[in-house]
Amino acid sequence: MNVWKFFSSSLTVAEMEARRVRHDPTELFTRAIQPALWLLIFGEVFTSIRAVNTGPYTYLQFITPGVLAQSVLFIAIFYGITVVWERDVGLLTKLLSTPSPASAIVLGKSLAAGVRGAFQALMIFILAVLIGVNLRLAPLDVLGVFLVVVLNAMCFSSLSMLLAAILKTRDRMMGIGQAITMPLFFGSNAIYPTSLMPTWLQGIAAFNPLSYIVNALRALLLSGDYSQLPVDLVITLAYTAVFLAAASIMIRRLLE
Amino acid sequence: MAEQEAVSVQSSEGEIAIEASDLTKVYPPSSKAVDHVTFSVFRGEIFGLLGPNGAGKTTTIKMITTMTRPTSGELTVFGMDVRSNAERVRSLLGYVPQSVSVDTDISAYENLLIFSKLFFVGRKDRKARIKEALEYMGLEERANDLVKHYSGGMMRRLEIAQTLVNRPKILFLDEPSIGLDPNSRRDVWRSVLQLRKQYNTTIFITTHDMSEADALCDRLAIMDQGRIAAMGTPEDLKKSVGGDLLTLVVPTDSDIPGIPPEIGSLSYREGNTMEIVSENGDAAVPKLVALLSKQGITIESVSVRKPGLDDAFMKYTKKKLAEDLVATDARAARRSFTRHAG
Repeated sequence: MNVWKFFSSSLTVAEMEARRVRHDPTELFTRAIQPALWLLIFGEVFTSIRAVNTGPYTYLQFITPGVLAQSVLFIAIFYGITVVWERDVGLLTKLLSTPSPASAIVLGKSLAAGVRGAFQALMIFILAVLIGVNLRLAPLDVLGVFLVVVLNAMCFSSLSMLLAAILKTRDRMMGIGQAITMPLFFGSNAIYPTSLMPTWLQGIAAFNPLSYIVNALRALLLSGDYSQLPVDLVITLAYTAVFLAAASIMIRRLLE
Repeated sequence: MAEQEAVSVQSSEGEIAIEASDLTKVYPPSSKAVDHVTFSVFRGEIFGLLGPNGAGKTTTIKMITTMTRPTSGELTVFGMDVRSNAERVRSLLGYVPQSVSVDTDISAYENLLIFSKLFFVGRKDRKARIKEALEYMGLEERANDLVKHYSGGMMRRLEIAQTLVNRPKILFLDEPSIGLDPNSRRDVWRSVLQLRKQYNTTIFITTHDMSEADALCDRLAIMDQGRIAAMGTPEDLKKSVGGDLLTLVVPTDSDIPGIPPEIGSLSYREGNTMEIVSENGDAAVPKLVALLSKQGITIESVSVRKPGLDDAFMKYTKKKLAEDLVATDARAARRSFTRHAG
């Protein structure tokens, strides 16, 4: 299996998702409702009461990268359910019966989640501009945001596929999805700085990949200070690579 | 198994496409889905596994298509071990699973495009192969419709078309006509027979449907509880039942005498209904009537028929292949198909 063929298979699986979205884009809009509420209600209220010290930024500015990361997390963490559904019909079996390796299919599925994540980022950019959140919108920063968002989706969707291979049913996936999204979200720096957390929670947050993703997005959208960006990206990439590798090894268990 | 040897036909001519010997799959902790199964499939042959749900048919397909690893035993496809050559083996195959395996949210053309890429069909061949597959399965007019608007039969044909873009050497069809109406069923059968005729494709099917096995298969293996109970051509299997079948119904309170060998032998009895296997059914009826009337037993009815595959199935598994042994979820899924909103 040469490298070109491997990546071409992955891109084909992502292409399949993009074609689905093109035929029925409704979900892109309904998915934008929740982050809109976070920004419009939670963000506006906390900005006006100045309850959280967010340094030089307004609270609304501060949580925009956090809400973006969180909304992509929500899409990605339930992506395993789609894969279980594709197993329940015969589509996953058919994908895995092609000569394309299972790992290329898994990578492709995570890129497919990235496709949905990128659309989500687009919606939040539009929303933020409409309600007047002051963000850095230089082309390279915007491009960087899209790349980090795709990575964000790949990271949590491959975690979700790994869980799907272990848990195997949609019901269990719904349960575990609910059970881990909130701790990941509240145990991160998405809506308050980690310095406000109790020490034990700060310790946990240091292992939370979502915090590194939010850091990267804040650097790109707010501060323009890229000194920590390589560290944030390397840590996120490392998590993604581990989840992807484990999910690739485990995915055939779904067929048994 | 002596019975198996008695009926298996050695069609020695031709190249071996699939060879399994002592093939076993154990799902932890100890459920033997496939239990020391041995068979060969020849190139250009339509070979069927016939058996109820849970007999191990799908697991056998999954091992051959490298979806799951055998626990023990040998398994080769065109001489290649499936464990060490998984990707090469898959490049020769097409697999149509039992349930819906097309993406219903995109068009038929797009489904074929995606799969031609995943099968590594070269860029310049893609268009021609897709067109050919669509025409072959009679779908070219609705190629750009979303698949969710297709009927069950069209979806099934598209699922086969999806594998044809790869020009498979061996095509696996898991319950090809489950949940289809009689017309679509005949369409699918016609395509399958034509594929073999035109491309000499080896076709491996699983089915619980006697008429399907009879209509399609050159040879079949009767499978039950993970084992092959008998193997041979449909004709040989039917012949191996041993003659004609007499069905005799007597009043419930009758004492049934032993059946003398010149009439036949009792094969099955349930309440007041008996089935007798007889070499010459027509000649056995008057003898049977005479015997019973001599003993003062009234006869409610007696009938003679030629044995079918279901009789062969019963002979080797001691079970009737009843509809209730077959899962209905797949056909339910096909009939009311909607995509999960996730």
